[in-house]
Parts: sequence; structure tokens; C-alpha cells
Amino acid sequence: MRNSNAKALAAATAGALLTAAVLLLHAAVGCDLNDPDRDVKRLFPGSTGYKTLYVSIAKRGGDELQKKIEARLGDKFTGLFETADVPYTMYEVYKGADLIGYIHGVNQKGTYGGIQVFLALDTSGTIRGFYFQKLTSRAAKAFRALSFGEQFQGLSLEDFYKYDVVSGTEDPAGPISRIKNPDPGSEKDFRAALRAAKKNLILVDEFLLGNAHLKYFKG
Amino acid sequence: MKKLSVFQVATKSLLRKKARSLLTVLGIAMAAWVLVSLFGFNRGYEASLNKDIDNLGFQMLIVAKGCPYEAATLMLKGGTGLKYMDESIAASVAAEPEVEGVTPMLMQVVFDPNKGESGGLAAFLGVDPASFPKLKSALPFKAGGWFSEPEAAAAVFGYEVAELEQREVGDLYLIPEKEVEVKVVGILERTGTQDDGTIFLPLRTVQKVFGVKELTSIGIKVNKNADMKAFEDKLYKLPDVQVVSLSQVKTTIMTLVSTARVMVFSIALIAILIAMMGVVNTVLMSVMERRQEIGILKSMGALAGDVFKLIWLETVILCAGGGLVGTGLALVTARLTDVLVRNLLPYSPSGGLVAIDAGLVLMTLGVVTAIGLASGVYPSWKAARMRPLDTIRGEVES
Repeated sequence: MRNSNAKALAAATAGALLTAAVLLLHAAVGCDLNDPDRDVKRLFPGSTGYKTLYVSIAKRGGDELQKKIEARLGDKFTGLFETADVPYTMYEVYKGADLIGYIHGVNQKGTYGGIQVFLALDTSGTIRGFYFQKLTSRAAKAFRALSFGEQFQGLSLEDFYKYDVVSGTEDPAGPISRIKNPDPGSEKDFRAALRAAKKNLILVDEFLLGNAHLKYFKG
Repeated sequence: MKKLSVFQVATKSLLRKKARSLLTVLGIAMAAWVLVSLFGFNRGYEASLNKDIDNLGFQMLIVAKGCPYEAATLMLKGGTGLKYMDESIAASVAAEPEVEGVTPMLMQVVFDPNKGESGGLAAFLGVDPASFPKLKSALPFKAGGWFSEPEAAAAVFGYEVAELEQREVGDLYLIPEKEVEVKVVGILERTGTQDDGTIFLPLRTVQKVFGVKELTSIGIKVNKNADMKAFEDKLYKLPDVQVVSLSQVKTTIMTLVSTARVMVFSIALIAILIAMMGVVNTVLMSVMERRQEIGILKSMGALAGDVFKLIWLETVILCAGGGLVGTGLALVTARLTDVLVRNLLPYSPSGGLVAIDAGLVLMTLGVVTAIGLASGVYPSWKAARMRPLDTIRGEVES
């Protein structure tokens, strides 16, 4: 008995040390909410708690999964923040014991720097909130305006599948085409925001919704 | 019948009281862990500090007059200067015979509303394209290279800042507040120094964009044969400047660190003494519990020396085992120790703070085993002088 206690204690200590080391290694990457307690409450006013999940393409399916996600996005992953080992931080939001939604942010390359786009989603994957946590742009003020983010409300991956992130067009024209660029001179940042939103929705569908929207993908 | 060696007998005796042996080993392991980590820190800190200083590319820095400690921090951490100095000082310093090269610098900081939770500071270091790359020739590039035009709208990004801003060579960058576009022409490899988080721009560009004509600092590379002390005294004659030599910086930091180190070494010494007492107590208790067994051994022909050897060996096994576990723990947790120590110190160099090598591990094992040998003498002597008849009868020996 004493032996098993000693073993359990040793295992717990080793586990705690390893966990601390892993957290330290991962601390510098990914896209986390600046202040999860405050931000979750702001995006879901009725929420009582949240759970943080860390997932990555490398752990869930590797190259195969990355190719699948790239196909759904309609573009290749490039750059430091679009590698298979990027840890995605996903927040499950609860009201009591009930799951009421998700929050997830992604990094996207913009004209002058990295952009972080966060989406607040209901449990079916429909956008109920859109905002930039980080954005360097000449039109940053216009993009950060509530009116810009509100245009995304009610959209889902089903809508975004018709939007080509490379050409920046929607065929046939639909809800994505109706999203207005607040500054025509910042077209690159506008497209980056749309690409980030589509990528974000695909990752949530893949990691949290069990590919519920895959049926709308026309490959 | 299989004959057991003294080592086997000693091991078996220790295994009979597993929990007690394990706790004793853990006590020694903790002491060994602290010892290895402290010696590792002792080596690692100084080595990293020297590396930081070497990577600076110059041995002296002139800043506008201010507090020398703040100036030292500016030098090592790449912060902002407190005051400005006239640009002509760079030319007059360059004319000194002791000087191999000078490089004028201007640090500017702006508020970036997109940085962090509620905005943060973005720092830009204006450097002279003609002299700075020569003095910092050791800086490796991941992509691209230095700007060559003195007023180019170009930037070189340190590794971390490029990663954070997702910038590649050819990308644009917008200087916050000033709304000025610069093109990224080079990205540095990770150096582990403050350069990783720096955005370098041509000096004239920074002066123009920020409307400042002066400098915040001048880096000086001194001739190898020059008398540093005499040259430093000469520089002090310049009006309103503060001279910071790297030897001063190093001495100041090492003095600060050594105070803390003496305290921690004292704690380590106490930990070792406590562990040693624990070993003596454990082995002595074991000897008292096995009086009859020792008596039987003696009556079967074991000499006092054999009993002494047996008990002594048990002590050494405990200590060597603890030493092995402790040094193993120190190796495994070196990175964690590094992070913890870094958070506690007022200034930490950018390289690894804890350097543990084979020599240090062997030395610690040697020290811990020696402690074991010393701790085992009294219990072994006590066991060796037990009289067989007394112990078998179960009489209490005083």
C-alpha cells in the first residue's frame, strides 16, 4: 500500500512538472483571448463558465487533415501561423451545465502585420459575434467598428463555402458579397478578414462540430 | 547455496524498509538537486551574460547623462534612452586613436494600440547603415539583409518581432502613430538577445519620421590594444554624457546576483546538512533494529570490519542513489529552473541560465557519495562494536 502511494506521488509530481514544461513551451504560440474571463462574458453575456480546449492539425490528423482543411478553404496554408503544429485555442461556453456556444480566434497575415480574427458562434456554428483582437491597418478604425463586425452575424460555413478566398468573389453572389468593405483602399485587409473568418469556421467545424457543415462543401 | 556479496546483503537490508529508504533517498536527492541546479546556474548565468555582451558588437556605450543603472538596462535590454545627445559627439569620439569604430543610434518608442490587451509600446532603433552592420557583423540573417540607403523606408526585423507581426522580406510595415510605411528588407535569425524583438530602421529615417535630430546612444568598438580604463576616463570629459563600459555592466550585474547567490548557497548547505543528519538517523535506526541480526552475523564469524563495511555500504548506496536521482531531476527540470530563476531575477541574460554538464554531474555525485561515507562512519562503528552475545540476548546496549 505504502509502495503504491509512493508511486502515485512520484507519478503526480512528474506529471505536474511535465505539464508545466509543456504549457511553457506552448505559451508563445497560438491565438488566445487576451482576457478570457472578461471576453467570454462580453461575447456571451448569459454565460456562467467556459472550458478551454487546445487542438492542432498535427495531433488530429497531420498532413492528411491539413490537405482536407486546405481543400475546404480553397487555399494553401502559408506562413508561420498556418502550420500543422499551430495549437488552436477553442473555448466552449456554458450556461450552467448547458453548452451555449464557442469562441475561436485565428491568425491571418494582413497588409501591415498579423491580424487576429475572433468569432463567437452558437452551438450550430452560426456567427453571433465577429471582432479583431489584433489588426494593423490604415483602416483599422473602420474595420474595428461594430457595424463591420455586425455584417457577419447570422452567417455560417454554409455561406462561406461559396466564397473563393483567392479571388475574393462569391459565386453566385450571396450574403458574403453583401459584406461591405469599409475602406476600398484596404481591400487586402478586407479579404484577409474574410479568409480568416472562413478558416476559423472550418477549424471549428472540424474540431468542435464533428464536420456538421461538410455536407455543404462542393469540393 | 548461493553466496551473497556484501553489496547484495546491503541492498536487501535497505529494501526491507522500502518507505524509509525511499524517503532518505528523496531527502538526499533534493539536496543534490539544489546543489546541481545552483552550480549550473552559477556557470550558466555568467556564460550567458558574456554571450549577451559579445553579441552587442561594441564594448562601450555613450548615453546622455542619467542614472548608470538605467543606462546599463538600456544597453542590455534595448530600452529607450532618457535624454538625447548631440550628433556631433559621435564624430568627436570616432576621431580618438583608441577607437576602432563608432555607431550612432536613436531609439524611439510609440504607442501601438494593436499591441497586447490595451495597446503597448513599439520600439524602433535607428542605426547607421554604414557602421552598424560592420560592428554587428555576427548578426545572422534568416532572409534578406541590411538596408544600405541612409534614408531608405526600409526595416530589418528581429526574429521574434517578425514572427509576431507575420512579416516576411518584401512585406510592408506601418509605423504606428506616424502612419509611415516601411518595407521589410531583412529578417534576423533568432539570436537569443534583445535584437530578436527589435525593429531596425536607418538612423536618418528614424530622425525624419520622429522629428528628432539627436541620438540616444553611441556604440564604441575599442582597439584591442587600447587601455580601456584610460579611454573611459577620457570619454568622461565629454560634456553631459554617461559612459557605460561592458566591464562595468557585467560587474554591477554580477555583484547584484552574487548577493542572492550567497544566500541561496547557504540554504543549499543547510539542506545538505539536514539530508546528512537524515542519513545518519536512518542508518542508525536500522542498526538498532537489526542488533540481533548483527549479533548472529558476528557469531557466525563476521568480523567487526565486515559489519562496518556492510553498514557503511548501505549508507553509500543511499547517498549515491539520492545523488543519481537528484542530478537526474536537475537535468530534467533545468529548463523549468531556468524559467523560475528568470522570473525572480531583476535582470537575466537571454541565453540559458542553468548550464549542467557531465563534469558538474560527476562532481555532485562525488560530493554526495563523500557525504555518505562521512555520515556512515558513526552508525557503522556503532554496529561494528556490538557484542554478539549481548545483542542475541536482546539486552539493551547503551
